[in-house]
Amino acid sequence: MTVKISRRGLTTLVGSGLALSFAPHVGHAATTEITVLNWKGYGTDEPTALRAFAAATGIVVKHDYFNSEPEMLTKLQTNPGAYDVVLINSARTQQAQSAELIAPIDLAALPNAKDLAPTLKNSPSLQAGGKTYGVSWVWGMNSLAVRDGKVVGADSFTIFLDPKYVGRLALLDDTATAIGIGALLTSQSINDPKDLPAIGAKLKAMKPNVKLLWSSEDEWNKAFAADAFDISVYWSGAAVRSKVRHKLPVDFIIPKEGAIGWLDGLSMPVASKKKDAALTFINFMIDPKFYLPWAAQAGAPASANQAAMAQLPDSDLSKQIHKPEYLTKLQFMGPMPDERRQAFANLWEEVKASYA
Amino acid sequence: MALLAPAYLWLTLAVFLPLAVMLFFSFLHAAPFGHRPLILTLEQYRAFLQRPYLLDVAWRSISLALWTTGLCAAIGLPAAVALARATRGRSRQVLFLLIVLPFWTNGLVRIFSWTMVLREGGILDLALHAVLPSAPHFALLYSYPAIVIGLTHAYLPYMILTCYLSVSAIDDALIEAAQSMGARVPVIFAKIVLPLSLPGLMSGAILIFVPVIGCFMEPRILGGRVGVTMGTVIEDQFTQAFNWPLGAALSFIMLAVVLVIFGLTSRAVTTGPTAPLRA
Amino acid sequence: MAQLGRAWLLAVVVFLYLPIAVMIVMAFNASPLYALPIQPSLIWFDTLASDTELLDATRNSLIIAMFTAVIATALGSLAAIALARHAFRGRSLLRLLLLPPIAIPWLITGTAMLVFFFWTGIGRGLHAMLIGHVALAIPYVVIVIGTGLETLRADLDEAAMGLGSTPLHAFFAITLPLLAPSIIAAALFAFAVSLDQFVVSYFLAEPGVTTLPVEIYSSIRKGFTPEINAISTIFLGVSTLLVLLFARLSNLGGARGRR
Repeated sequence: MTVKISRRGLTTLVGSGLALSFAPHVGHAATTEITVLNWKGYGTDEPTALRAFAAATGIVVKHDYFNSEPEMLTKLQTNPGAYDVVLINSARTQQAQSAELIAPIDLAALPNAKDLAPTLKNSPSLQAGGKTYGVSWVWGMNSLAVRDGKVVGADSFTIFLDPKYVGRLALLDDTATAIGIGALLTSQSINDPKDLPAIGAKLKAMKPNVKLLWSSEDEWNKAFAADAFDISVYWSGAAVRSKVRHKLPVDFIIPKEGAIGWLDGLSMPVASKKKDAALTFINFMIDPKFYLPWAAQAGAPASANQAAMAQLPDSDLSKQIHKPEYLTKLQFMGPMPDERRQAFANLWEEVKASYA
Repeated sequence: MALLAPAYLWLTLAVFLPLAVMLFFSFLHAAPFGHRPLILTLEQYRAFLQRPYLLDVAWRSISLALWTTGLCAAIGLPAAVALARATRGRSRQVLFLLIVLPFWTNGLVRIFSWTMVLREGGILDLALHAVLPSAPHFALLYSYPAIVIGLTHAYLPYMILTCYLSVSAIDDALIEAAQSMGARVPVIFAKIVLPLSLPGLMSGAILIFVPVIGCFMEPRILGGRVGVTMGTVIEDQFTQAFNWPLGAALSFIMLAVVLVIFGLTSRAVTTGPTAPLRA
Repeated sequence: MAQLGRAWLLAVVVFLYLPIAVMIVMAFNASPLYALPIQPSLIWFDTLASDTELLDATRNSLIIAMFTAVIATALGSLAAIALARHAFRGRSLLRLLLLPPIAIPWLITGTAMLVFFFWTGIGRGLHAMLIGHVALAIPYVVIVIGTGLETLRADLDEAAMGLGSTPLHAFFAITLPLLAPSIIAAALFAFAVSLDQFVVSYFLAEPGVTTLPVEIYSSIRKGFTPEINAISTIFLGVSTLLVLLFARLSNLGGARGRR
């Protein structure tokens, strides 16, 4: 029962294989079906793109979604063979690899991989044992977002502690981001801070300013539009979308402490039975022919493909915000031992309880 | 007994066995995925000792549940009495339907609609300013009362329904007899209606108190930064921390507390002064 | 006194319908961010008409909820009657066992079911959701019908048997009709529990085959628009009609007259 999808897919594959062998003059490729596991509405399920992809390669793409990274790992674990491509943030790639959930990928097999920004393509977070386990796909930053016009001259995360903004702060309810901001404010590494209590103290000190915690772009948009807060942490790509599509007066700022960078990669589950089709899809995802329409129509994070980013018009807000030099200046979220991740989680839980 | 078997078999397969698995998880050091060795430990159950802030959170959850159950009882019982005794025929049917219909709206959409009512610049704020333009802003959203309002609203129909079942079965003859002996309304209520509604009140209380202790949607959406409850903490263990053992342990501790509370109140009810009155 | 009671009822109804009124009104507001002031528009109903995913999900919700109501009420009634009739050893324990499904956060139960169903091959899908929903609804049914039984006067069917009726006949002629309001209430509860259940459903849903609450829950991340309000409004309208019909046929409020 659990392998319903791949059984159906397998039948399709066998069936189409048989059809192929008995129909020597078949005009185009037989249909294969692959299943992608990703956040909902995050690029891989863009309808226009998928139609073009199916027409060109005969591969039909189905989707399953997750609402959190632990959920993504659970789904991989409890549905072997159900997924062929999965989106894994580079901070979690090694965790998935050590749980033997994903397979190594040979970047030489992906023609578009040559245009990937080297810092991202070769990011140590995506490697393990000398092999690559994730193809860098899109990146972005978690940084300061303020209400244009009302908040002037913001250039530091210390604004989160500024008494001028009591009750006007919205924080992102995400352990890594919260601890990261605390780390930046105390000049520490976001992935391996040595002084956790100092981070805890800094975060707890924000209590008077904190109005609410948001956990999705939509939540942020609705609350911002309802004038619930003026300063917040926000994602770079989301800031572009909020400004361009929803016309919200938001300013996205990289403060002097720096910002938190993140990189999303596409990986291939070990149990996938359609690795070739999966690789074709991944190659399509890092193709400018996919990225440019996605960015134009829906608004997207920055592509890891430098050529694609260069082809964006200069007036594009995303291009302006996601400057290539940030790739070397930002601290990127990276993998960490489970114990440390747990310590972070405990600290953030404690901070949230202190806010109540 | 054959009557019990189908229901309890179903529960065993669908709930008890899975929960038994979870119970096992709660004694592990880390979620049992990958090829990590299974380390059995009691550390998750020492969570309250290691994380003293959890005591505050637990107390907050319990008081939230008490407030919600109390308000639902205070509002719901009179409503049930009114429904059973002050309305007839067609109007009673209509009112009954009106009370039951909110069940058919999606909980999340309802909670979100409450944000529109309670927030600054929301419906209530606008209404207030239409009447008193110089009044201060009405901003109830992202506060403890907002959570209580949302929860009471969600669970009130349960209480009204269960109380109605008890109240509607009260024999008219009892009330008439009391009235003919000169008893006034408050006395009738205290000596006859209230004791005989106890089954309904108790069931309603269980159906409300128990889920509210573990709720996380209303606190999260209506509470803003004050929306931290056992439910949200447990949810975080599954959605942010990937610490199933801790989440499971906290849930079972919560279950134990609920069972203790239920055990104590159940004894009070079955051995109390009203026991002989009930069939 | 009666007037006071009716006034109180009216106030309760106003309280209950305040957010629902808002929900309905917002279905007609053009702003995707629910911004005020309201710009009247039917655009979300339009979007809904072509949103097969959401419509399929709604249909699945209704089907599962109806099956859940029937199955849970049947199983739960039997159990409630057995628990109320005679005191027997282990009765308290069995009563206590009804609490875990409603006490333990649905997230835990959902995850537990996901893992257990995976290990035992039951897997995910509508069948798994039905299993889960019925299990979560049974405690409600047992507790509600238990209330009805407690309120019932046990001496009525004893009186009937004293007059020569068999226990079975007494049960069908006396107990069951008096229990009817409780059974209906329990069915309503079971239906509502299933309809609103998103956590367990979310875990047990197969990709592409979901229910309305699951769609809404997963839209929280991506973003939900007043399309959700549109479908909720339609849902409410249809439920109203159905329940009205049912009430017509079963004379819900008439129990008082039968004593």
